[in-house]
This record gives sequence, C-alpha cells and structure tokens, in this order.
Amino acid sequence: MSGAPGVVAVNTFREAVRDRVLYNLVFFALVMIGAAILVGQISIGIERLVIVNLGLSAISIFGLVMAVFIGVGLVSKEMEKRTLYSLLAKPIRRWEFLAGKYAGLLLTLAVNTSFMTLGLAAALFYVGRPFVRSDGSIVIAVYFILLELALVTALALFFSCFSSPMLSTLFTLGIYVTGIFAGDIRGFGDLTRNPAVKAATKLIYYVVPNFHDFNAIAAAAHGERIPFSLVWQNTLYAALYVTLVLLAASAVFSRRNLK
Amino acid sequence: MIISNRNRPLLAALGGVPLLFAAIALLQARMDAETRSAAQENEELLLRSGAAIEKMSLGYDSLLADIYWTRAVQYYGERVGTPGANFGLLWPLLDITTTLDPKLIVAYRFGAIFLSEPGTAGAGRTDLAIDLVKRGIAANPDEWHLGLDLGFLYYWRLKDYPDAAAAYLAASRNPQAPVWIKLMAARIAEKGDSLETSQMIWSELYESTKDPNIRKTAAEQLRGLQAQEDEIRLDEIAEQYRKRFGRYPASPSEMRDAGMLPGVPEDPAGYPYVFGPDGKSHLNPQSTVVIEPPPKTTSGPQQ
Repeated sequence: MSGAPGVVAVNTFREAVRDRVLYNLVFFALVMIGAAILVGQISIGIERLVIVNLGLSAISIFGLVMAVFIGVGLVSKEMEKRTLYSLLAKPIRRWEFLAGKYAGLLLTLAVNTSFMTLGLAAALFYVGRPFVRSDGSIVIAVYFILLELALVTALALFFSCFSSPMLSTLFTLGIYVTGIFAGDIRGFGDLTRNPAVKAATKLIYYVVPNFHDFNAIAAAAHGERIPFSLVWQNTLYAALYVTLVLLAASAVFSRRNLK
Repeated sequence: MIISNRNRPLLAALGGVPLLFAAIALLQARMDAETRSAAQENEELLLRSGAAIEKMSLGYDSLLADIYWTRAVQYYGERVGTPGANFGLLWPLLDITTTLDPKLIVAYRFGAIFLSEPGTAGAGRTDLAIDLVKRGIAANPDEWHLGLDLGFLYYWRLKDYPDAAAAYLAASRNPQAPVWIKLMAARIAEKGDSLETSQMIWSELYESTKDPNIRKTAAEQLRGLQAQEDEIRLDEIAEQYRKRFGRYPASPSEMRDAGMLPGVPEDPAGYPYVFGPDGKSHLNPQSTVVIEPPPKTTSGPQQ
C-alpha cells in the first residue's frame, strides 16, 4: 500500500507498538511454556494436542481481543484527541484514512500472529516432537485465524464510524457470536414450519459472516489435511466480506458530520 | 537513618504486600480445610450435556475437550486405589470430552480402561466402556486400535468370546491393521479361554501403550498368566511323580531330586512354588504375583 493510506497504516502500526500492544506476546509465551511443561505431568497422551489446541486458541483469542478493542478505537480515538481534524485537513480522503487505519491494524495483527506462531512452533519443538508434513495444517489454521481477524477488524472499524466505542464493541462481538452460530440459526429455521421464520433465519445465515468455516483448530491439532478448496474459498469469502464492510464504512464515514 | 516521605510508600509496599499475600494464603488454606469435605461430597458437574458445552465453547471445542480429558484423568487418578471410591462423574466427563472432540482417540482408549477396571482400580462399568469404544469406532472408523480395545473388553471383562472374536475380526479388516489381529480373532473363536490367547492379548496391550499404570497392570497380568502356565506344567509333572513314587511331592525340590526338574522352579517374582497335599502347585504365600481367576467358558470352545 502506497500513498496516503500507506502512511496512515505505518503510523497506526507504530502507534500500536508504542502503546505496548505487542506485550501480549510475553503472556502468550508464558502460557505456551507453562503448557509445554505442565501438560505432560497432569494428563495422558495429549501433549501435542494441547500445545496445538492451546496455541491456536490463544492466537485466536488474543487476536480477537486486539481486533475488537483496538478496532473500535481506530476512528473514535482520533476524534477524541482531535488529531483527525488536522489529518483530514491534509490532502487525504476519508476512505483513504479508513483504509490506512484498517491496513495498519491488520499489519499489527499479522506481526503479532507471526510471533505467536513461532512461539507455538518452539513449544512443539520443546516437547520433543519432530516437525512433520501434516504440520502444514497448523499454518493453514493460523492463516484462517488471520482471515477471521481481518473480518472482525473490518466490522469493528465499520461500527466505530458511527457509534461509540462501547456500542461498537457490543455490536462487533454480537456479530461475531451470531456468525459462529450461523449454521445453528439456519438449522433452527429449518425445524420450523413457519415460512417467515425460515426465510429470516436463512437471511441471517447469508448476511452475517460465517465464522465457523474459519475454525480449523481441531483439524490442525489432529494433523488432518485441510482441503485446498477450503483455503481458496475462505480467502475469497473474507476478501469479499471485508471489501463490502469497508465500502459501507467509507460510505458512512464520508457522510458523517465531524463538526 | 532518615526515610524520606517519598520512599515511605515504597517501603510500606515492599513490606506490606508479601505480608498481606501470606495472610491471604493462610486464610485460603483454612477455608479450604473447612470446606474440602463438603466439596468432595457435593462434587458435581454443572453441565453434563456435551452438545450444550460444545455450543457454548464458541469454536474452541477441541481445547475444551483437552481440558475435560485432563479433568477426567485427574478425577480417576484421585480415586484409583481408594477403597469405596465413587467414580460417578467419570462417565459424564468422558462423554463430554468425546462429544467436544470425537477424534480424541486417547480418551476412548484410556477412558475405556478407567471405566472397566474392577474393584478399586476403576468404575467397574464395562457396559459404559463398551459404549464409549463403540462410539469411538463410529467416529473414527480408520482407527483399528479401538477395535482391539473393544475385543479386549469383551474377552477379558465379559468373557464373551463370540463378540470378542467379532470385534477383533472387524478391526482386522482395516488395511492398516497388522495381520496377527485376524489370527487372534480366529484363535478366540476357536478356543476363547486359553492362557496363550490371554497372554497374546495382554502382551499386545503392554506393547501398545506408553502409560506407566497400564503397562504395570499388563505386566502384572502377564506375570499371573505365566504363573498359571507354570502351575499347569508342575501339576502334570507332580502327577507323573505320583505314578512313579505312589505319592505327590511335598515340594518342587523332591521333583528336582528325582531328576524330573532341572532346578527348583520359581514364579515370576522369584519365589519357589509350593505344593498342597492334593499335589496341586500354588504360589508361595510371600509371592507378589497375583493370579486372576482364569477365563471360564460357559459353552465350551466357540465355533
């Protein structure tokens, strides 16, 4: 990314680093070290499983917390500190500002996730497990988590364009939880005989992002092969959804009265 | 030494924080001591539905499965060997674990052992163990080890040789399963109650697990089976002794002195066998070897 959005992105990343956001890596490292040492003592036969499950779950949870809580403050913080006004006085369009903010947080999440993945690999190495070909599933699971985080960040940014940080957090988490249960909601509609409920649940199923499809943690933990078709389909799904949400965010933000 | 006003809060914290933590820990220990017995009596699982927990896990179901499995292992470990221990929560814990992660093979394999072991060694619920393993086979049809476990439960716990043979045969159909499983199925179908078959099954269990407790149990069973085999041979030689000398030997050393044995035979724990007045050999009362009652057929060799 070059030009104005690139400058905003780099500054957003720098700001996150300055705010000690990456300190969560220390906590992650402690969790992984603790798990690697303790699990073998308190359980039977699941050392590798726990390391992979715990590592991937932690990557996902830490990433989600960052995406939501930093994402909802991307716009409001600039408004609160009144830096947004001096920024927009420069030759930068509002959508460019949003795109830069989004890219900056995504870069932060990608760096954070990369370090955590290295930590996970180190923990697996510590428990004396040689790396095998099926570990490719772990890398794919991490990639899916990143796609999920890209979507959550876009949603958080969208809500922060017209709502307070508190409400934006609630909205984003609400959509996230609904997205996890999207399949169940549709299944519930299929059980009813009411065509209106059936149509509504079907609509919800297609409108909310289906986060369940991005969850490959269990498959990675068991060393199962993840089909390539799922990789490209999830990538395309996330790209389409992120584009849609960012377009909506740009539309809302460009019409917002900032006075 | 003059302590400046600025340093006072720091010094107070340095001294006060460890003291307060120590007081909190002492208080907690006291509260634990008072509530422990009540907690043990009232132990319960707030949620018993694996399906409900799976929904509430928000996608982290496989991590939760690991946690529940660890909890099951701890629960079993706290009770095993305790006379009168109640294993009531073992099945719900295993049920939740395998619902959350149907591919967690270790939970089926070890869980079946925890459930089926009799006495103080487990819950003594072979029926639930069989249900668990069957569920594992349904969720993991390629995992032939589970077929072996099912065969073991039918063979050793229920003495149900036709079902044991069928389970081994089903496991042998997996392309990755070793050939000897089919031989074992045939052997059980032909003669379910033989010592050789039992030795084969316990040896397989011993070789296939890394868990020290299960290896220990299997090793003890193998020692018991070895002693049973020794006793059968000694009884045969004692019978030959009676035919030659008109009486049963009083001890194995008499058979050795008569040239019928190369030495005084010892059991796997290193104790010499003893003979009763009926000429039957027995384990030395000091021996640590335990012989379980041999499997008994109800309808003779199975076809």
